[in-house]
Amino acid sequence: MTRRDRGRRQVAAILATALVGLTGCSAAGWGVHGGGGGKVHLTYALWDPYQQVGYQKSISLFEKAHPNISVTIEQVPYNSYQSKITAQYISRNAPDVFWVNTPWLGDWIKGKLLLNITDRVTRAGIALDQYYPSLVKLHESDGQLFGLPKDWDTIALYYNKDYLAKLGITSAPRDLRWNPTDGGTFLQFLKRITTDTRGHNALDPKFDSNSVKTYAMASTNDLQAIYGDYFAMNGGSILPAPFATTSSIDSPQNRQTLTFLTNVLQKAHVVVPGGQTGPNGGSDNIETLFSEGRTALWQTGDWQTNSLSQLSGFKVGIIPLPAGPKGRISVFNGLTDGIVSNTPHPEEAWELVQWLASAQSQKILGSGGYVWPAIKSLDPLFLDYWKGKGIDVSPFLEEASGDTVSFPVATGLAEALKNVTTALGPVFLGKASATDGLASARTILDYRISYFK
Amino acid sequence: MRSTIVVRRSLYYAALVLIALIFITPYLFAVMAAFKPLSEINSDRAWNLPTHFTFDNFKSIFQQYDFGTYLLNTAAITVILTAGQVSFSLMGAYAFARIRFPGRDALFWGFLMMLMVPNVVTMIPLYVMMSKAGLTNTYWALFLPYVFGTPYTIFLMRQYLLSIPGETIEAARLDGCSELTILRKIIVPMSRPIIITATIIGVIFSWNNFLWPLIATDSNKQQVLTVGIANFNSNFVSQWNLVLAGSLVALIPMVIMFVLFQKHIVNSVNLAGASR
Amino acid sequence: MTTVAAQSAEVAQIDDARAGAGGSPRRARMTALGLLAPSLFGVTIFLAIPVVLVIIFSFLRWNLLTSPQWVGFGNYVDIFRHEGAGHALLVTIYYVVINIPVQTVLALGMAMLMNRRGRFTAVVRVLCVLPYLATPVAMAVVWQWVFDPQTGVVNTLLHQVGITGPDWLSSSSWALPVVVFANIWQYVGYNMLFFLAGLQAIPPQVYEASSIDGATTRAQFLHITLPLLRPTMLFVLVTGFIGSFQVFDSVYVMTQGGPGDATTVMNQLIYQNGFQGFRIGAASALSVILFLVILLVTVSQFSYFRNRTTYEMV
Repeated sequence: MTRRDRGRRQVAAILATALVGLTGCSAAGWGVHGGGGGKVHLTYALWDPYQQVGYQKSISLFEKAHPNISVTIEQVPYNSYQSKITAQYISRNAPDVFWVNTPWLGDWIKGKLLLNITDRVTRAGIALDQYYPSLVKLHESDGQLFGLPKDWDTIALYYNKDYLAKLGITSAPRDLRWNPTDGGTFLQFLKRITTDTRGHNALDPKFDSNSVKTYAMASTNDLQAIYGDYFAMNGGSILPAPFATTSSIDSPQNRQTLTFLTNVLQKAHVVVPGGQTGPNGGSDNIETLFSEGRTALWQTGDWQTNSLSQLSGFKVGIIPLPAGPKGRISVFNGLTDGIVSNTPHPEEAWELVQWLASAQSQKILGSGGYVWPAIKSLDPLFLDYWKGKGIDVSPFLEEASGDTVSFPVATGLAEALKNVTTALGPVFLGKASATDGLASARTILDYRISYFK
Repeated sequence: MRSTIVVRRSLYYAALVLIALIFITPYLFAVMAAFKPLSEINSDRAWNLPTHFTFDNFKSIFQQYDFGTYLLNTAAITVILTAGQVSFSLMGAYAFARIRFPGRDALFWGFLMMLMVPNVVTMIPLYVMMSKAGLTNTYWALFLPYVFGTPYTIFLMRQYLLSIPGETIEAARLDGCSELTILRKIIVPMSRPIIITATIIGVIFSWNNFLWPLIATDSNKQQVLTVGIANFNSNFVSQWNLVLAGSLVALIPMVIMFVLFQKHIVNSVNLAGASR
Repeated sequence: MTTVAAQSAEVAQIDDARAGAGGSPRRARMTALGLLAPSLFGVTIFLAIPVVLVIIFSFLRWNLLTSPQWVGFGNYVDIFRHEGAGHALLVTIYYVVINIPVQTVLALGMAMLMNRRGRFTAVVRVLCVLPYLATPVAMAVVWQWVFDPQTGVVNTLLHQVGITGPDWLSSSSWALPVVVFANIWQYVGYNMLFFLAGLQAIPPQVYEASSIDGATTRAQFLHITLPLLRPTMLFVLVTGFIGSFQVFDSVYVMTQGGPGDATTVMNQLIYQNGFQGFRIGAASALSVILFLVILLVTVSQFSYFRNRTTYEMV
């Protein structure tokens, strides 16, 4: 026993020394950050592997033009993106440049995590009027700019071309109107394209609401794709202004709109029953429902174009949103590339951001069909790419040039929106009234956005 | 009469076999699945042996997905943490058990009270302290809170040291030996069982530690196995072949340790249980 | 099984016997403190100071990015009103209540079953302890697979006998029991060892004497085994409760607190508040609450057992 123990101990000691030596390989693990002569290495973080291809092309060109800078693209999963970047910022090893989505803007601007680029923009003489004005405003706070716009998205209605053709509709209407009282021509259209198993549509008195084969669409618990748009079209809003500390989500107009989206549409049997779309009546399942032909329409953003273009079942068309009492308004959002404020290489990071916001880079991403470029004049590139693939994406552009409402900005917003989804869940599942749902949504929303004043 | 004994015997053995199966099969199935391609895992029953036995899953996780780094990090941290914890705890336990000095009891009660503090209470302040010191996401953060000795290990070792006869120590003191010499030449050799037990406890603790490494690290290069496995699992949902292979990288060494040291693990129960 | 004071008295007697030989009390103190220095350092910096800090933090609103704000007891109100602390406490208590009693009974039952000689018994006894070392995170992944509604072992087996298994970890009624099962699987064998040690410490003469007096097996169990096992029982229950109240690894991996907040135990809520929401103050307040609950439960157990435990065999 003794000899075996001694032998074991010797082996353990050797192993120990070896292992301790090996961990020295990661000098950063011991808190030593290399100086690295000559070349500057930047990390660039994003979450979408599809767009990564386009960005890699753009960045390769950047590296050729800047031989002293090398960029590594890092993919960070979306679900933990905000907390991961924040934690890395705290331990001073955040990526130098990274994608920023609007729900995180509030926290990151107020928390000084993003670098203030106002002076750099002026010095470089970048013309801000080449971008959509609301996108520039989106990334501003107190007159200071924290990111240059690089892309945008709006919401429209994708439709199943084959299914509508079978119903005798060769070109879907682009001038539908809705109102919270009787639904307008929009509701009529939805009824026309909802069919039961015997082929009767919902306008037909013989329509059997218990055996619906194809619903017109799904009305889901989704701020950007569904209720944010309709709220605005009826004169309501989520927040009265960016960085507000009290919300405007609980208003008579919103209550009316939400009742329309849930109660009225459900009673007309034109929308998928709440429980089947996902937890809390959310959008989890509706891509599957649409691609299997169980809904005729899918109201969502242009980022879905690529996956829908690869559907094997049917061809896809797009119509703009129906216009409401205040006209046609879509939620308008755009990403930006943020620079972390404690980067060891602010100048090189700024070079990269300048490039990504420039026409040269946005041309690559637009003409590859990845995203709508934020530079207005380059929009035709995205349009032409998808026209070539047989999909007319002009409704998105039409809406961007019309009235839009920007995605809300506030501190604590990302988590607040998750809580709002939970609060509105029962309304979409038919278990609570819009009044009650919006009241509890308001309570938690106000709490979160005023938490860190 | 004899038939009832036979029936009871068979029932007893059946019960034992059932119990054994409950504790082994999760391991077995996981091992089998780690050597199957994903298509097989999804189509076959879990208890089928692999028809296309493959090492690919392990190749992937080590070559493409940093599991080698995680393994090395975990092993290195475990060695450092355990070595420090056992040595420093033994020194402290000896002081509490065998040296009479003013204030000893009060100090020991203080240590005992720290035993009551649940882990989670210290996590947040430790994170804040580490981040202000610039130590988050470093190896230091992973072992510093534990390497200097912990109340539990000191308590355990003190129990043991109290029960060994004191004549040799007294004789050595009469001969003028310093306490350090006594420690080295008498205590350590006599404490082999408790040292081994404490080492095993330390290794198990460090290898399986999750919440603190999760909080304290945020980048792949510094992560340990537990955090690596959890992140891998959430990023590769339902790629069971890879994800189970990853889990096995953590489970297999512990099984090996169990097989080698199972007597000591069982003895640790007697030592801990006897303390109350 | 003597108290700390009694043990110190023992040692004191041994030391007194040779008082005067060796060094003066002051020199002894210097040496002792020297030996204790690393542990003292570690415990002060990494245990004692954090305890003080967490209480201070619980009175602040702070996200580590901007400067902290003093809010007094505001966090304690907020965590119950808005962050779901009440619900998390209930979930945690529910978890503990279905975990510990079941696990203790099983451990005792297994100990009594396998408290006999025989090689096969010895092998199975050892196998029961194998799960004790399993890395909880890694095992949680395995359980996720085992309980997968489509391809998991459990539902496949049930399917063979014609039952459609539930969604297990996606079902709000089954998710927590599955987490409990994982915990029981891991620790019941180890707890069985404690009961085995306790059972083996009971002299067989006590049973023989009671048999002669005509006691039934049931009576023996209730009036001999159980009372004499109380110290072991106390240990197993106290450590079990303290551990269960802090469950995290399996919940984080298997359900992340879901579906919804069906499995959001206190530790999970603390993690979400502290390291996803970066609400240091709220997370600290939650930690303090958890600490107090654990303290309360532990003290109650000790006082319950104090007057009912026989430590010595007469």
